[in-house]
Amino acid sequence: MLDSLFLSGWGAFGMVLFLLIPFLFVFFYVVFRKSFVDSNPGTTDAKKYVRLEGMWIGLVVLVFVGVNIASIGYMPTVSTAKAATSGQDIIDVNFTAKSWVFDFAEATIEVGRPVRFSGKSLDTMHGFAVYHPSGKVLFTMMLMPGMEKPTSLIHTFTEPGTYTVRCLEYCGIAHHEMRDEIVVIKGTG
Amino acid sequence: MLSATKILRRTPVFNRMFAVDESDGLEEINSWPALMIVTSFVWLAVAGLLGVAMPLIQRMDLGTDLYYMALTAHGAALAFPFVFQIMVGISLHRAGGCVGKPVSGLLPALIYLCMNVGAALLTVAILLGFSVSLVMMYPLPVVGVGNGQWSYGTLVLAFTGIGLVLFSMIVFYPVQMLKIMFFGQKRPDLILDERSINDPGMLGMALAALVLLIMGTPLLIIATYVLVALYGIIPLGAVAWATEPVVFQFAFFTFAHNLMEAMALMVISGVYATLMLYLADGTRQLYSNRLANLSLWILLLTSFSSFFHHFITLFPNLPATLAYHGNIMSWGTGIGAALSIFTILATAWKHGLRMSAGLMTVLMGFVIYILDGASAVVTSNVAWSFQLHGTMWQSGHTMTVLIGVSVMWMGVIYHHYPVMTGRMLDEKLGYWFISLFTVGAVGAALVMLAGGAAGMPRRFADWAQGGWMVYGDLIQLFGLLMAVGLVLYAVNFMKSRQIDALSESPATAPEPAE
Repeated sequence: MLDSLFLSGWGAFGMVLFLLIPFLFVFFYVVFRKSFVDSNPGTTDAKKYVRLEGMWIGLVVLVFVGVNIASIGYMPTVSTAKAATSGQDIIDVNFTAKSWVFDFAEATIEVGRPVRFSGKSLDTMHGFAVYHPSGKVLFTMMLMPGMEKPTSLIHTFTEPGTYTVRCLEYCGIAHHEMRDEIVVIKGTG
Repeated sequence: MLSATKILRRTPVFNRMFAVDESDGLEEINSWPALMIVTSFVWLAVAGLLGVAMPLIQRMDLGTDLYYMALTAHGAALAFPFVFQIMVGISLHRAGGCVGKPVSGLLPALIYLCMNVGAALLTVAILLGFSVSLVMMYPLPVVGVGNGQWSYGTLVLAFTGIGLVLFSMIVFYPVQMLKIMFFGQKRPDLILDERSINDPGMLGMALAALVLLIMGTPLLIIATYVLVALYGIIPLGAVAWATEPVVFQFAFFTFAHNLMEAMALMVISGVYATLMLYLADGTRQLYSNRLANLSLWILLLTSFSSFFHHFITLFPNLPATLAYHGNIMSWGTGIGAALSIFTILATAWKHGLRMSAGLMTVLMGFVIYILDGASAVVTSNVAWSFQLHGTMWQSGHTMTVLIGVSVMWMGVIYHHYPVMTGRMLDEKLGYWFISLFTVGAVGAALVMLAGGAAGMPRRFADWAQGGWMVYGDLIQLFGLLMAVGLVLYAVNFMKSRQIDALSESPATAPEPAE
């Protein structure tokens, strides 16, 4: 359940609908009713408003805190730190980005083995987004020129296949042509 | 001295849409705001046409260069000379009328000239090939000269335009607003509806002006240094600190993010002020001023440092703790928005509403703004940001916040138009406009978010590459609905009729019988 919520763009879309649909329902009900059905002042007791106000703030805080706590385990920053300290053998993939190509160091990427992608931009802002063969974005990284450290993330592939890499930071008139491929093979171990 | 009244009177179309009433003695709070509002409509027309054209350019395969040019021009026209300028116009009129201070003299002229001349120069540079997108993607403007995408002269022209726009937004407008709010003599003859700074309808305007001035100053200093170096007045090496991408990017996004939040503060204030005027019981009171002001303060405080969410995917160059801080602060702005929702709904429930096209437009703008808020907090979450950053989701978010804010202002205009011009807008046409526009805006926003969820990149001239053209076609469809709505909005101004504003304006109409 949480995997499909936090590990896909569609999970994010679902969260927007979850936040939006109740709002729309209540908003239009109140506005329509108090404009066209009965625009007389409400007779609701003042204490009820205060109680409702407290409940509303409590509910919003609960949802907001709940979502953000639940998401911690799915943050690539957290999983990167975990993998880096796990003692597992990490495959390093270093790369540079320049208008409008990626330049990878040779590496064999296997399913189930963590891969540390570390990249730098040599000219302007670039992105490094890895797309699953199904078209889903697995993760994206921002490469800003002039940084001492590379942008870096550890990801463990779970399926073999050819993954597309795209630049997702607009970088000039051939931005859409800046793409490459990563081949992930079945693990030998 | 430049006279806004004369420009309005002598410019074709402007003189039909927004000629100020010169007989009521209120020219000093009406003329410059009216000129800014009607000029912003010109930029809206430009931005709208380009927006509708973008999917068409891809569908008809008219060229990637043309697409990127349209993309840059669309964003530049929409964000600054349209949305910001319409906000400036209405807020200056509101502030002047609420505290009895004139909006005249050098400052409003500078706001107007710098914004429009600057935007025009930037547009010319874009037509010459300066395709850098709405946010410039620094250091792309400089790199583009190096790899032959545009010339050095074009870069200087574009930066001159951007510099003028920044001076208008960061210096002249906030100073003018603060001058009205806190300095000078009150003139009773200019007071339309006296209010104090404690009023939620006024507080947001003061806070927004301060945010623009304070949060924008670092960017202004950096941009000015770079511009002076580009002119050759000082050597480029002397501004190396300012031209570092990380310096420029952080200064830019500190301002750009807070600019959006300032516009939200300003317009939520405007919503509170307008809502009070359309209550069925005529009490002109919100459910709670305390709650309304609290929502503005929360929005203000949380938005300062939530800009870190723009750099979450820069990890580890942006430390994880700052990424998470940006995440939490962004969701904190949602708490402020939730309090606004409660204030508006409780006010409606408690006092009843006298619905009008203007109020409906304001409320639909608020709905679009909340839709945007939901998309914004979701993409600010660290886990989702790594999947959504750089996708069409972000474009959907940016477009929706700009549209939500501007629609609320467009609704507020219905209320102020009779006072400014002595003319009246048609209610039925107003309802048609907002119905079509809301369906178009919500539809386009949801399609763009869905495109982002499906991995569709933003600022990308080849939607066919990943099978995303269907999203482009749907954006086109909903964009056309918005365009038809906007045509009706413009027609309404062209058809506005002379009235006795005080007796016929819906805001001042007799209260319904109890």
